[in-house]
Amino acid sequence: MTLGFKKKEKSEDGLILFHSVEDAIAAERILKEAGYEVRLVAPPPELRKGCDLAVEINLVEKTGVERRLREKKTDYLEILPVKGKGRLLDVVKVTDFGETLMVKAANMKLTFDKASGVIVNISGGGCPDIPALHADLLDKRISEAVSPKEKGYTLCSLMLDRAFEESLALWKKQRKE
Amino acid sequence: MLLICGTIPADDFPLTVGPVFFDGDALILDGKTIPCTQGTAALASAACTVAGHLGSERPWALLVGDRGTGTGSRALYEHLIENLPSLSPGVLVLHYMLPIMGLMKKVCRSAEQCQRRPVMIADAAAMYAAKAAGLAPRFDIFTPDHSEMAFLADPEASHPAYASRHLFESDGAMIPELARASFQQKGAAAMLVIKGATDYIFEHGQMVAHISEPDVPALEAIGGTGDTISGMLGAFIQGGQGLCDAAIQSARVNRLAGQYAQATPATKIREIIAAVPTVLKFHLKK
Repeated sequence: MTLGFKKKEKSEDGLILFHSVEDAIAAERILKEAGYEVRLVAPPPELRKGCDLAVEINLVEKTGVERRLREKKTDYLEILPVKGKGRLLDVVKVTDFGETLMVKAANMKLTFDKASGVIVNISGGGCPDIPALHADLLDKRISEAVSPKEKGYTLCSLMLDRAFEESLALWKKQRKE
Repeated sequence: MLLICGTIPADDFPLTVGPVFFDGDALILDGKTIPCTQGTAALASAACTVAGHLGSERPWALLVGDRGTGTGSRALYEHLIENLPSLSPGVLVLHYMLPIMGLMKKVCRSAEQCQRRPVMIADAAAMYAAKAAGLAPRFDIFTPDHSEMAFLADPEASHPAYASRHLFESDGAMIPELARASFQQKGAAAMLVIKGATDYIFEHGQMVAHISEPDVPALEAIGGTGDTISGMLGAFIQGGQGLCDAAIQSARVNRLAGQYAQATPATKIREIIAAVPTVLKFHLKK
């Protein structure tokens, strides 16, 4: 049975902060045109850094939102979670399996073959762009693959990108040695 | 009925619901073929395999294409909100979908309108949405991995990417503490099935089991090995097992399947799932 699609509902746990009201208004329009569910709000005093207008977003969509604003050359100061300290995890853990290395960033793990640099597995995560990135990246050489940040939309893809960048650095370092 | 809900990595796969069949290679839903890859497809494949072995009713799946934009996920939430009471599944597994807190709240409200409240299981981003929205206590089971425990134990994190650094850096020995903290802070479901080098099962913040044999370290690297545990868990519960027994059984079967498949970090999830029938045949506790 194939079914239709009805209406939308938003969830707001992230804020985009701007230098100017003009930028905030432009960003809201650009993101709405791209299908994101966003709205203009006043940032809470503790998060206020530029102008007193912010755009509320679903934080998990940060990667796609950033890319869209970059493509449209729209300036913004920062994207922050409404709650918490607003710092993305920057810890990377590496596990050596002998022939392969697994690089872990937050909930995402990327494993590549040390000899060939081929991505042999991606595990972890839970956002819907991860199975797509998994299919796109698997069996590709890490030096030739497109970075997850360029194709993903969510925080999971951003964490996968961190694991990817670290893996690429490890692969290049190993090639030099 | 076991109802599995999630997204698959396709742009053109419409929202589809119905009984799902795994032919040993791919999933078949309403005549559509879905490759058995990491994510909800792996979960559903593992569930079908267990249900087939137990001779229980074929699982149902509610699947939609979504490559990350969230359009398919929203359609999935909306369908659940409107139709859960009429579907009235015995077990509901929520999996890969864009975490949208407002919609997850409505799904939980809709689940309460079922004739009998389903056993509620959340994994992947459905678990992120449930925890971030303060809905964790309304779920029966969460199935995090070790790194996701840092997220569940951090009351301020809305996604694992924002989990506290010191919680993320804590080693496996801290899992019991993280599980207790997450339960006390209402960041955990009644039961946690924590997947990792050692699998832990907690009920109401107390450890009730841990499984570390056979030890197959490569499983952590293989995309989909957490999904298969969640799928088997749903199928064992639907087949009549208690929640704790089903959790222990799923963790054991997954490890044994890894062992039978002679898993390496390069093994693909379909190879692990292919070993499940053998494990069920020779090792399933009657």
